[in-house]
Amino acid sequence: MDFGLTDEQQLLLESLDELLERECSESYIADLDATHQPPTTFRQAMNEAGFGSLGFPEEFGGTPSDALTLVMLAERVARQGLNNGYGLELLQAKDILEFGSAEQQQEILGLLAAGDVPFALGFTEPGAGSDNSAMTTSAVHHDGVVTFNGTKTLITNALQSKYLLLMAKNPDVEDPRKAISMYLVPMDAPGVTTNRLEKILWHISDSCEIFLDDVTLPESCLVGVKGNGFKQLMRNFELERLVIAANCLGMAQCAFDDAATYAAQRVQFGKPIGSFQLIQLKLTDMAIKLENIRNFVYKTAWMVDQGEPLKSQGALCKRYSAMAAFEVADEAMQIFGGVGVTIGTRVSRLWLDLRGHRFGGGTDEIMVHIAGRQIVKDHS
Amino acid sequence: MKIVVAYKWAPNPQDADVRPDGSVDWSRAKNAVSEYDPVAFELARRLADATGGEVVGLTVGAASIDTPLARKAALSRGLDRLVMVADDALAGADGTRLAGALAAAVRTIGDVDVVLAGDSSVDVAEGQVAMTLAGELGWLGLNAVSGVTAGDGGVVVERDLPSGVATLAVTGAVVLAASSDAVVARVPGMKDILGAAKKPVEVLALGDLAVPATEVALVTLATAKPDAGARLGVVLDGSDPAAAVAQLVGALRQARAL
Repeated sequence: MDFGLTDEQQLLLESLDELLERECSESYIADLDATHQPPTTFRQAMNEAGFGSLGFPEEFGGTPSDALTLVMLAERVARQGLNNGYGLELLQAKDILEFGSAEQQQEILGLLAAGDVPFALGFTEPGAGSDNSAMTTSAVHHDGVVTFNGTKTLITNALQSKYLLLMAKNPDVEDPRKAISMYLVPMDAPGVTTNRLEKILWHISDSCEIFLDDVTLPESCLVGVKGNGFKQLMRNFELERLVIAANCLGMAQCAFDDAATYAAQRVQFGKPIGSFQLIQLKLTDMAIKLENIRNFVYKTAWMVDQGEPLKSQGALCKRYSAMAAFEVADEAMQIFGGVGVTIGTRVSRLWLDLRGHRFGGGTDEIMVHIAGRQIVKDHS
Repeated sequence: MKIVVAYKWAPNPQDADVRPDGSVDWSRAKNAVSEYDPVAFELARRLADATGGEVVGLTVGAASIDTPLARKAALSRGLDRLVMVADDALAGADGTRLAGALAAAVRTIGDVDVVLAGDSSVDVAEGQVAMTLAGELGWLGLNAVSGVTAGDGGVVVERDLPSGVATLAVTGAVVLAASSDAVVARVPGMKDILGAAKKPVEVLALGDLAVPATEVALVTLATAKPDAGARLGVVLDGSDPAAAVAQLVGALRQARAL
């Protein structure tokens, strides 16, 4: 088993390090977090260097890549302390590149190149989240147009996006798996209104409720095949969980590095607190968890690259990584003591942002639901 | 216009440890394109793009400089092709001998109009090789170069000197040593890195090159930390922070730093 990097991976990571040093300093991230702004200039720089089209088909100017390289890059950006700084937007865009019309594809690629989040994913509703069968937002096709009605909530990045990738249901079809279609809806379309939701974490990503009142658009806003929306959406979900896990890994590593450095410098009773065994125990257990997360994430990415079916692996990886990464950040907070909870410290931001990953992209509990039933099925 | 970028495959300072006595431990450092050389790559690429020219990378050193990673790392920085002289006879060679090998390789490449280099290597940092190379070639050599563009029958060179900025028109072959802040070098992108392995590489045998014999032996007898200048060595008592700040401000005013 080879744990070494390929030449290309090493050079890509070195290039990424240069970009991070120039375009994504700690003060830049702290400012974004304090002012609740997205990392647009960093994303522009990433796109100019070609990282914004990683894994896209070559006809879209992309560069084919493997999943392992993608997660290593996502991990490295997160290690800088930037939450969800790289990777997820690429996977979402792939939905459009794979299923969208030529017009939709060009529009999304242009937005990505400008460093913008091209669209938000409109899935969750007040009464439906992981239980997609409970979705009530309707899409009624009539006379060459389609009319939407319903409410979406906890939608990430919608206020900074030009479009909403809306999941809506044909009320005439009973089977929820065949009733849901995918639409690209302009956020400024008549009948779309929003209500910002203030939250205690993920400040560089806005969250909001979206109200759709008789929003009527040409049927060309349909993405892919009518009734295939759920299947299309699920296409990249496994990779999305993997990128989230890589993001958790990077941020946990960042918290660990900060805590270990602090422990080596903070003097109490005449010596650095890192010389006390209780602090060493924390750092040791944190290091073990990081090693476990890294092995889990890389192994899962390797399975994707080998074309092996992930079955429960993606859910297991996401659950473990999100929980263990938060535990690492929590112990980092403990090592920092009172300093850690003051506003503006990196460790407090990492602690908060990592807490969000225990439900973002699927809760810890839903991961059990997904993995558990698969495990039982595999042994039946 | 044929432009050669002479660069060094050198230890990465990020991996170096500075010992208490000021000496640097490079033993754990991985090699990379020397930190001050990407500026030369960038200037060369811009000049070649403006003139429809070619950029040839050139490096010389011990056999260990020729690895697939080393080739790709250089080729991903805007080169059209790469020429290497990798021979253990050059291990630990001084700047004069390296410049001799570079000169012989430049002659072998042939029809070169401009050689661009960083102002010094990150590990040795003597800043001699580029100008010695110019001497070996019998060409004009200019250091402290902050810009180079195409000119009428040659190039226009901007130099940032202590006395001011000079803009010079140069005709004929020239060796230019770029200052480390001349331009912001672009970061190798995905396509550059993934496409690097497909670009041509030529390895020249040292024995086939007309490298001048070294008649002068160079032995380092001693090294010492740079002179930090006269220091006052004032130590303030920090037990009372407010008083310490007042003392610090007073000391800085006395030294006319404030």
